[in-house]
Amino acid sequence: MNGQYAALLIALPLISAFFVPLLKGAGKNAIRYFLVLVTAVQTGIAAWVFQWVYSTGKPIIVMAGGWKPPIGINLYFGHFASLFVLIVAAISFLMAVFSLRAIKVEPIDKYAMLFLLLMLGATGMIATGDIFNLFVFMEITAISAYALTAYNKTGEAAEASMKYIVLGGIGSSFFLIGIALIYGSLGTLNMAQIAQLAATMDPTVAQVGLALIIFGLAVEAEIFPLNAWAPDAYQAAPHPITAMFSAFVVKAGIYAMARLLYIMQDVGSWSSVLRLLIILATLTVVIAELAALRQRNVKRMVAYSSIAQIGLIALAFALGTQSGVDAGVFHMINHAIVKAMLFIAVGYVAMTLGGADFENFYGLGKRMPITAFAISVGAIATVGIPLFNIFWSKVRIILATLGMGYTWAAVLVLSASVVEAVYYFRLLYAMWFHKGGAKVDENIVISLMVLLLAALVVVIGIYPDYAWSLAQKAGADIFKVADYINNVPLMGVGA
Amino acid sequence: MISVYYFGAIALVLIGLYAILVKKNLLKILIGLSIMETGVNLLLISVGYVSGRSAPILSEGIGPSQAVDPIPQALVLTAIVIGVATTAMALSVAILLYEKYGTLNVEEIRRLRG
Repeated sequence: MNGQYAALLIALPLISAFFVPLLKGAGKNAIRYFLVLVTAVQTGIAAWVFQWVYSTGKPIIVMAGGWKPPIGINLYFGHFASLFVLIVAAISFLMAVFSLRAIKVEPIDKYAMLFLLLMLGATGMIATGDIFNLFVFMEITAISAYALTAYNKTGEAAEASMKYIVLGGIGSSFFLIGIALIYGSLGTLNMAQIAQLAATMDPTVAQVGLALIIFGLAVEAEIFPLNAWAPDAYQAAPHPITAMFSAFVVKAGIYAMARLLYIMQDVGSWSSVLRLLIILATLTVVIAELAALRQRNVKRMVAYSSIAQIGLIALAFALGTQSGVDAGVFHMINHAIVKAMLFIAVGYVAMTLGGADFENFYGLGKRMPITAFAISVGAIATVGIPLFNIFWSKVRIILATLGMGYTWAAVLVLSASVVEAVYYFRLLYAMWFHKGGAKVDENIVISLMVLLLAALVVVIGIYPDYAWSLAQKAGADIFKVADYINNVPLMGVGA
Repeated sequence: MISVYYFGAIALVLIGLYAILVKKNLLKILIGLSIMETGVNLLLISVGYVSGRSAPILSEGIGPSQAVDPIPQALVLTAIVIGVATTAMALSVAILLYEKYGTLNVEEIRRLRG
């Protein structure tokens, strides 16, 4: 089959989203199952693209309308993009199944549309090879995320959404100024061509432009100081949407940040931008872990923990070394699995017991054993206990940080991990050693989902080699910019 | 001469940012957001401006060498559409907020904390 069919990954969710209103007449359940079907097909296409890219070792370049880059816009499904598009699609599929039970609030057709657009936006951000196209996909993601945050129509949801809109608006303006600076000095928007010409850019302009782009993306990527919206939105959004935010929306942002950072690595002032990002990332980890410590709402607590893990990934990407990028990608994979599981489980508890307050988790080990087991696996894995997947990526990030001589950052991150252990073990204690209410029947589908994810966590924890080899290939895709330039068939200037 | 456009655009961005950071009324914050977006759009346009040339529309007597750079104009068209969508979304959330809290003062809209 022709590689150009990979464009279906963008086309399918877009067309399906516009078909949703037509299905409205067929009943509410039709829309829910339509969502499951579309995400399943998307997962199938993504798996095919993944298999293609990893077996041939060559990226798929989709050229929109047959125009060669840099005249036309191209999509780039390299090792990284194909892996993460698969993760996006698979997690969306799980969340569509979870939505069958979790979404009771109307209008479900709007929910389904926004759900598909959110998936589309994240897929596009990961796959695109054009910097302005990246901005458009970022805004698609952001606007559907604003709407989904406010979906429950409570005061809290509207408040969280408004914070997100204001910060997101500032971020996208900064990002656009950054694009204007880069376009003004290089005359191109294609990422491969920017990478090719980066060395000719004036160092000061490049520094300002790159810093503005990083600040702009920091809203989506939840880097301090622009992550104030995240805990509120995570707490107020519907449960499947929270899991999607944590599992891939933020990943798309942080990937875009890493990609733009590395394609600009030839500019003279690159190392100062890296230093700035290292400081911001370390602050993100420390502040989020300390804030998590005093939360009484478990969903909010896990949200802070998610932000801290994202800070860790940003730290790994900011090191500017191959080992750092590989470790960061590995952590992204692990974090997507663990946080999807944790948010499904916590959301399920909040649905059945009427809220995610800490008191509801007392004695959960007796009341909902399978869910409590999943939360325990997720908590232990996040803290970084050996034999669970996050241990391996955390160790590699710390080693890469020490390898670059940033001892202070490694020490701060490790002490933040101790704080993380405190609040997660407090939760574990409350779940297994407190008296709670009567036993509740658990839904078989949701139990199967969390058990599947828990199994993945343990399997990667015991046999990390396969996942690590995937992460290394994907990391090389980001780090080796020369290969990236060679892979994109650029038309010569003036040709 | 061209620097006038840059300073004007940056000034609009800063005015918008000031309104977002300082004002207490939600609607004024949203107006600030729109001003900021306008400033960014003007900046993009002035990046592609070539002194003395006309709009990049194919018409009689205007060839490729007489027009300004068309790409920033295409970008700004997209950015304007995105800005409209964001503003509409923000205003509908503001209506919802007013219904639930009875105020648009951001200092009183604080139920989520912790």
